[in-house]
Amino acid sequence: MNEAVQPLISIRELRMKFEDKYVLNGIDLDVYPGQIIGYIGPNGAGKSTTVKIMLGLVDGYDGEVSVLGQSPKNGDVEYKRRIGYVPEIAELYDTLTAREYLTFIGELYGMKSQDAETKARRLLEQLGLGHVLDTRIATYSKGMKQKVLITSSLLHNPDILFLDEPLSGLDANSVMVIKELMSILAANGKTIFYSSHIMEVVEKISSRIILLDDGRIVADGTFEELKDRSQEGSLEQIFNQLTGFNEHRAIAEQFVNIVQEV
Amino acid sequence: MRNYKSLIVLDRFRGWFEKAGVDYTVMRHILQVKLMMDARRVPSFLNKRKKAGAQQETKESNNFLSSLWIYAIFGAFSTPFILLGDNYIFQMSLLFGIFMFMTLTALISDFSSVLLDIRDRNILGTKPISRKTISMAKTMHIFIYMVFLTGAIGLLPLVVGLVRHGVLFFVVFLLTLILMDLLVVVLTALLYLAVLKFFDGEKLKDMINYVQIGLTVGITLGYQVLIRLFDIVEFNVTFQPKWWQIFIPPIWFGAPFEVFLHGSRDSLYIVFTLLALLIPIAAILIYVKLMPSLERNLQKLADPGKRGGKGRGKWKERISAMLPVGPQEKAFFRFTWTMIGHEREFKLKVYPSLGFSLIFPFIFLFTQINQMGFQALRGTKLYLFIYFCALLVPTVVMMLRYSGKYKAAWIYEATPIAEPSAFHRGAILAALLRLVLPVYLLECVLFVFLFGAAIIPDLIVFALSIMFYTVLSFAGLSKVLPFSMPFEAAQQSEGMKMIPLMMLLGVLALIHLGATFIPYGVYIYLVLLLIINWITWSKLFSSAVKREVSA
Repeated sequence: MNEAVQPLISIRELRMKFEDKYVLNGIDLDVYPGQIIGYIGPNGAGKSTTVKIMLGLVDGYDGEVSVLGQSPKNGDVEYKRRIGYVPEIAELYDTLTAREYLTFIGELYGMKSQDAETKARRLLEQLGLGHVLDTRIATYSKGMKQKVLITSSLLHNPDILFLDEPLSGLDANSVMVIKELMSILAANGKTIFYSSHIMEVVEKISSRIILLDDGRIVADGTFEELKDRSQEGSLEQIFNQLTGFNEHRAIAEQFVNIVQEV
Repeated sequence: MRNYKSLIVLDRFRGWFEKAGVDYTVMRHILQVKLMMDARRVPSFLNKRKKAGAQQETKESNNFLSSLWIYAIFGAFSTPFILLGDNYIFQMSLLFGIFMFMTLTALISDFSSVLLDIRDRNILGTKPISRKTISMAKTMHIFIYMVFLTGAIGLLPLVVGLVRHGVLFFVVFLLTLILMDLLVVVLTALLYLAVLKFFDGEKLKDMINYVQIGLTVGITLGYQVLIRLFDIVEFNVTFQPKWWQIFIPPIWFGAPFEVFLHGSRDSLYIVFTLLALLIPIAAILIYVKLMPSLERNLQKLADPGKRGGKGRGKWKERISAMLPVGPQEKAFFRFTWTMIGHEREFKLKVYPSLGFSLIFPFIFLFTQINQMGFQALRGTKLYLFIYFCALLVPTVVMMLRYSGKYKAAWIYEATPIAEPSAFHRGAILAALLRLVLPVYLLECVLFVFLFGAAIIPDLIVFALSIMFYTVLSFAGLSKVLPFSMPFEAAQQSEGMKMIPLMMLLGVLALIHLGATFIPYGVYIYLVLLLIINWITWSKLFSSAVKREVSA
């Protein structure tokens, strides 16, 4: 890792409490340009919360967070101009058409309406959505909505991308396009913060993997480093081992037993 | 994108917004998109049949603006309050009572989706927009909505007031309307905040749902009430201000008319006037303070609610255990029972008709009561007006097939249900017991109170008629499995089928009337209906379904 470069994201001792329960128990993290970070962990480990804190969607945390040299707490929102975000749940204003929605999002990032529209059209045409530009998003399939979301996160050419399950609902061909897209973006110096439950994808595309469990970072390194450490063959197995989960076989057997009782 | 006139008006205040630290360009973009989305939203009381297709772009009618005429009519119906005399405190307090009710329910039922849009957080919150700009955009959005709404309700009364009572009246009226709007907006926001703070998002959605139902009933029956109000209300009463009226906000807004136009120096009137001025201003200040807290609590809307666990549904279990039907019917009975209670969209579409059918018989009775008085009712056969309440039955039978989550009906196809008639029987039983029975019982209590205990056998006959009428309605409408169609698909043709069904109800009422002329006729008819029900409920349900399937 090139330590001379300033980290884009720097997190120190991050703690967050929701109703008397700590969901983040002291996260320390530095993120550098050009990395694709696979941010993984079991449900409720605190992945989304970390991302939301960095985006300034959640406040009331303890510790230091600095994104592009700025703290989400201090009220200055300029740093968000250089961030793109794909949320886990496809939340869009779906009564709008893709053209209207994307133009609007571009404008929110300070683009000129005309520029935003042209760029959105050209991007969607690349993803094969040219024919539904003027159809309401509400009628789209899950995969089409996901493509609109991905486009909306890239419209303004951001430096950091936060992607939460960006491949959900996409067909195999589109998945390949988006995976390729991520590695080209990273090669061009963009930083991608990628959370997912699909270990095979994370394993392949990430240059660095961070495993979160119970609000703590339990592993941080390249896939090879993790592999050496835990002596397991696949990320899925590493995941199971590090999160202390080894009863999958027992649970499956129990489940089948109950099924067959009838 | 359309350029909205309201935004062009807003442009004139650009400098003011920028001085306040708001990014006007961004705010304008947000407002433009929000207004566009409003235009495509269907107001809760307009059950517009819309094709959920892609080609509706060409004809962009503004659903919101076209819903305003309803409020304009209400404004028109209220203008007599201004025309009749100059007993200002009385007339104007009544008027403000109506206006406050209308604006408050309209705001909650149709605008809560704007106040409570949690998508804003993810979509706008992640963009480089300051909180100040976002909250100002929200405030301006509500402001534009209130201007339209108040304009629709208040325009005619304002003009009439100007002509009838002069310029001063107009000015006072306009100012009090604005103050009322402020109060209403803040009240709504505070209400949301309180509910979200102490309960969860599900409770709030339930509450909004009930207000929507109330608004639908209010809008449909409000005219009736308004017109009757003119008959009942004595306009030359002398209004005595009392201290406890401090708790009735519409009176605050009536008081300024007395103070400024009649020169009243009654200390209570002056206090009321001050309240009308100061409370809305104080409310706005509180609103600004509490808005961030509301934003934070909005997150609860996205969280799964904690619905009462296993304790609920005892009734369902008990009743289904008592029903003399097979296990499949019971399963569908319990399922329908739960769906009716939980699905908000279903409630919104069906509960208003419960309200109507409760009130319908009385609308007709009232005219009679006005002429003859309460006492004269006993001994007459006017209790047969209760049959109007059964108009609910075909509506319920028809509405059972609709659901907001109609796509989940694939489960019926995927599971081995040998006999769809079991589903129909179970579902209709649940609807009868859960929706129709309460209305029936309440109506019976009221009618026994009005007509005396002598009509109880007739009420039992009516109950059996409802049962029989249910079978008839089921047979008359097309057989579609419950909760398997979208509400938007509510077809005109089904509506046409309702008319002969309504006439059938009239026939049933006439037979009943005929039976009352024969000695013991009611009892004979009762036994007859029992037998008919026995046969039809067991036979017709299955055969009707079979016929449909084979056809």
